[in-house]
Amino acid sequence: MRFSPLAWAKLLFLRDLGPTEVGGFAISDAQDLLYLEDFVLIRQECSPVTVAFDDEAVAEFFDAQIDAGRRPAQFARVWVHSHPGTSATPSRVDEETFARVFGRSDWAVMAILAQGGQTFARLQFHTGPGGSLQIPVAVDWSRPFAASNWPDWNQEYLENVRPDEFCHHQKFREHAGPFSVSEMLDVLADDSHQFFNEKGPT
Amino acid sequence: MKILFINNDGAGFADHIEIADGTTVEQLFRKRVNQGSPADYLIRVNRQPASSDQVLQPGDRVSFTPTKIEGAGRI
Ligand SMILES: [Zn+2]
Repeated sequence: MRFSPLAWAKLLFLRDLGPTEVGGFAISDAQDLLYLEDFVLIRQECSPVTVAFDDEAVAEFFDAQIDAGRRPAQFARVWVHSHPGTSATPSRVDEETFARVFGRSDWAVMAILAQGGQTFARLQFHTGPGGSLQIPVAVDWSRPFAASNWPDWNQEYLENVRPDEFCHHQKFREHAGPFSVSEMLDVLADDSHQFFNEKGPT
Repeated sequence: MKILFINNDGAGFADHIEIADGTTVEQLFRKRVNQGSPADYLIRVNRQPASSDQVLQPGDRVSFTPTKIEGAGRI
């Protein structure tokens, strides 16, 4: 799977812009579905370790993409999100979403980019005998690509990424610099706050 | 009558289809979705949430889109 330099730059920019995970869909080339031209954020609620899309925003994204002349295979098959730390290995929540939501499509990719730079991508397909395999992630420099657009990307971030309760915790708000995993665990262990509803990240 | 139908399942679908007059949202769902329950989808008609017994009208835009897309890091 190859990202255009533009899509890759935008993904890295958005990953590093705030204190939370971010997620969205990659937009594929119409003729080459594993060449990713762009990355689009969906309105979402995020913590440093979780990202949840707003259901209505997903429907609006579908409407906008179809009105732009694309088909679902081009815009709703490559699900991308970031992870804090160095590990891009999928969590239990990631696996559950990938099976439940994307298991209904002929094919889909779960792509994860960790803060530390590690990437993960798994293609699953349900045509023929079905199956899944991990696929390499690369940046494809061989085609012309557009320049970066930080003001628009920044605006897209502000319009779509909503920090959840975790980010309102005093320890998090008063913290300067990156939040370490042990500091996250401290906040999660604080009984006075109920994070992630009844379900915790794994 | 014709409606615009959007469904992400299978190969994905976004095109006009012919349906019988008086078709409800639930009947369309049963006809077009092989597995799963309506609760697993956000069902909208003309960009608004729809009830299962809503009768579709010519030219409606009907979308079945996925819900609860959630990710998490490993900690
Ligand atoms: Zn994840």
